[in-house]
Amino acid sequence: MAVNEKVLEELLNRYPAKVKRNRKKHIIIKDAALARQEIEANTRTIPGIITNRGCAFAGCKGVVLGPLKDVVHIVHGPIGCAYYTWGTRRNKAKSEDPTKNFINYCVSTDMQESDIVFGGEKKLARMIDEVMEIFKPNCITISATCPVGLIGDDLQAVAKAAQEKHGVPILAFNCEGYKGVSQSAGHHIANNGLMEGIIGQGDWEEAPGKYPINILGEYNIGGDSWEVERILKEIGYTVIAVMTGDGSYEELKNAHVAELNLVQCHRSINYIAEMLEIKYGTPWLKVNFIGIQATIDSLRNMALYFGDPALIQKTEEVIARELARVEPIIEQYKKICQGKTAFCFVGGSRGHHYQGLFAELGIETVLAGYEFAHRDDYEGRAVIPEIKPDADTKNIPDLHVTPDERRFRLKLSPERMEELKKKIPLSDYKGMNIEMKDGSVIVDDLNHFETEEFIRLLKPDIFSSGIKDKYVVQKMGIPSKQLHSYDYSGPYAGFNGAVKFAEDITMAFVSPTWNFITPPWKNKPLLEGIVAEGGCSEC
Amino acid sequence: MGKKHTSCRNVNENPCNMCMPMGGILAFKGLEQSMVMLHGSQGCATYMRRHMAEHFNEPIDVASSSLNEKGTIYGGEKNLKQGLDNMIKAYRPGVIGILTTCLAETIGEDIDRISQEYLREKGYGDLPVVTVNSPGYGGTHTEGYWLTLRRIVARLAQKTGANSKINVIIPNLSPADIREIKRILQLMRVDYILLPDYSDTLDRPYQKPYRKIPEGGTKLADIAAMGGAAATIQFGLTVDESMSPGHYLESRFGVPLYNLPVPMGVENTDMFMNMLMKLTGNPLPACLEQERGRLLDCMIDSHKYNARGRSVIFGEPDNIYGVAKICLENGIYPVVVATGSKNPLLVKLLAEKLAHSPLRCTVLTGTDFTTIRKQSRGKANIAIGSSDGRFLTEKEGIPLVRYGFPIHDRTGGQRLLSVGYAGTTQFLDRITNTLLEHKHKHYRKSMYEMFYLNNQPVEEFFLESSGEQHDVFMQ
Ligand code: SF4
Ligand code: SF4
Repeated sequence: MAVNEKVLEELLNRYPAKVKRNRKKHIIIKDAALARQEIEANTRTIPGIITNRGCAFAGCKGVVLGPLKDVVHIVHGPIGCAYYTWGTRRNKAKSEDPTKNFINYCVSTDMQESDIVFGGEKKLARMIDEVMEIFKPNCITISATCPVGLIGDDLQAVAKAAQEKHGVPILAFNCEGYKGVSQSAGHHIANNGLMEGIIGQGDWEEAPGKYPINILGEYNIGGDSWEVERILKEIGYTVIAVMTGDGSYEELKNAHVAELNLVQCHRSINYIAEMLEIKYGTPWLKVNFIGIQATIDSLRNMALYFGDPALIQKTEEVIARELARVEPIIEQYKKICQGKTAFCFVGGSRGHHYQGLFAELGIETVLAGYEFAHRDDYEGRAVIPEIKPDADTKNIPDLHVTPDERRFRLKLSPERMEELKKKIPLSDYKGMNIEMKDGSVIVDDLNHFETEEFIRLLKPDIFSSGIKDKYVVQKMGIPSKQLHSYDYSGPYAGFNGAVKFAEDITMAFVSPTWNFITPPWKNKPLLEGIVAEGGCSEC
Repeated sequence: MGKKHTSCRNVNENPCNMCMPMGGILAFKGLEQSMVMLHGSQGCATYMRRHMAEHFNEPIDVASSSLNEKGTIYGGEKNLKQGLDNMIKAYRPGVIGILTTCLAETIGEDIDRISQEYLREKGYGDLPVVTVNSPGYGGTHTEGYWLTLRRIVARLAQKTGANSKINVIIPNLSPADIREIKRILQLMRVDYILLPDYSDTLDRPYQKPYRKIPEGGTKLADIAAMGGAAATIQFGLTVDESMSPGHYLESRFGVPLYNLPVPMGVENTDMFMNMLMKLTGNPLPACLEQERGRLLDCMIDSHKYNARGRSVIFGEPDNIYGVAKICLENGIYPVVVATGSKNPLLVKLLAEKLAHSPLRCTVLTGTDFTTIRKQSRGKANIAIGSSDGRFLTEKEGIPLVRYGFPIHDRTGGQRLLSVGYAGTTQFLDRITNTLLEHKHKHYRKSMYEMFYLNNQPVEEFFLESSGEQHDVFMQ
């Protein structure tokens, strides 16, 4: 059954009137015939609705900062917030120097009642000293959790003093959980801090190799960025820094030498992408390494940007070789997946990215959405001027950067830039909605109630989301695929990732488990004996 | 017993505990038709749901009042009321638990007043609401759990006529353990009220149609009757009186309290059986007697393998006391027993038991994993505790037997059975087999390294310890 306006209205009618009015604006049924379809996003979640959203701290420390491996990330606050972000995201990291990989450590000031009353600045300062002594990291970040902002600890001052004392960068982030409406606020805060405190601090003036690029918004979940880097390096690119999967302070500080910035997750990192363009004149390219066609398109667009025939040729060679290798395997899986439908509700970019990969397996995405994206992630960046900043977004200061006097260099002539923009998504993102089929449902900040209702209505064959709704869905008898943590699998990016994904999804469909749900006595007579005429047989 | 304060360290490196509201959620999930609201920013609720979902493999619905910057200035009353409204409409709960988080406590929210006002305004006068002040910085999840139970009892237990029931109050045990305790109680023909009973709600069978609030949980009518019960058995030897629901029932309603250790190991389970026999006058049924016999048989069969074990045990106070008892009874002598909770009662209890151990044991309270690791290095060859202890395996090569909460890197934490004679038998087998497996896997390699290469482990990243440290000697 498809969802039409009438069905949607019935669903929403089960909400209290005020909630209905609010939620209605967050749900659209795609209709390409309409000139435009506006969706509300990045606004407050209604209290008491079971949302999947987290907090600014989660977006800052958990998402953007956390993967930087040679940095010790101090959580300034009570123990809980630190504990819950300890090793819970599968951002993989390896390091030549094992004494400079702190990814497995969870470091917290463990604030107690007395710290809340008397302030935690001194404790934090002492703690930084200890961290320097124990770990000797190249850089330290401090992330604030809720109580810190309320008791008025001056993190920036503590960080500044400590930086002078220890001579390594110590960055403080006021990412208290109550700021903004979701993780998204934290991304922005982290972007600002990295831009101000790390990027450009290195002394490289030139890239150490050909076609230097940064990969932004790639967090190496399940090894994704390793697969992407494998392909890029083979084609001949020099990857300067990955932000921030398997990333490091050491790489990040020289990110300014890249000639092009790739943007994988637009939501979490577009601020840095934009600032890099303003400050250093480096454009960014929206890429998507999830899905075979998307990967190929991204590679071709990159080659076109650099415009070097040798690079273009090498790109085609690698594509042809990889395709010849993976296509036959995918074909096998496709036979099983063909004709199935999926829900794809993830984060701030994956809700979009995975649709292509699903389609390559013959699976249609009938409902998609984001947990914490903004309107531009749905409707495309053209809509940005229309978005009115509300009290929550105004809370997060914009960082104003200006061209770097020494290092600013236009990487392309304005004419070439304009020409390229017509062909490739250069410094632009068209959003998710445009690629969705008519009649499909787009939901922002999907909650538990709606999850259940839409499943009943649309009966998808697979549901991809996170762990909080995974078990609801499985209890409804539908396989789920976690697209935040990949259920301990991955990588899913690039060519090898597509194969892995196809394998995992197929596994969900062919598992014999689903066959046993109905017990035999529910659809067959209990006793398979013959009733003797004239009475019961002695069974 | 020597005692050392080593809180000179400020850093909590790899924490050994969660925060108060987390434990509170768990307690509330054991009430029939309950829903929980966290008053604070939504991140806390999201994190805790994530955390519990991964352990129990179950949906964990917890609402949040989603406070934001404005709420921190003008108070969160509006959010809390609106949140309650929406939650009630969607879930129609039979009882509501409201827990605060750091944020709400720091701005000083009066959840009692707000919730009462709300109920009055909406005419929900008979909808029971239990409020708990549970700032994350106020204690660990263990304290949050017990305090919540005490608040539940204080709010819902009544001075009813005397009944012949026996209250059984349990710490954070697995759903499988709860079911085992219930089975024992049934075998002993005890008319009991078990609190909190999340054995179904957090381990529900696959069933259609899907229900928003799972079936099961302690019935409110039963909790009301706890005030008139004949006795309370509380597996909470280490629980401070101020947080003890059993103590509340005793001082308020005169229900005699029997604080017992968690029935893990022979002696602890014997105590439980003894108590049940004494309270009911019923004899021990033959099948339980046989289970005891099988446990002893298991212990005897495994004693040579176990004799090699040197254990590091960590987790919540009452649970690790039970584990320590199993280890002591089987010669898997503990060398480190540790908890993130600051619990003086535990130290006292353990000191009595460990005094008879031939090995020196370090008891750590209010500690973190880096300290545990440092203390275990070179001393322990088996670790028992939550999956957070996997670092002991990765860094120190100490194999880990998973027990407790949370277990995130293996499936089935909710189905681990470890209490009673039968549960202890299974638990002991898991320990023994881990020792055996480790031995077989590493025998050649360790011999080669120790005697041929003469390798010594390398020092890294250790400074002071955090928390309190107590050295226990044989007297
Ligand atoms: S420590 Fe406080 S802020 Fe952090 S998760 Fe726990 S209750 Fe929330
Ligand atoms: S909302 Fe605040 S207290 Fe809760 S997890 Fe986020 S930072 Fe911590």
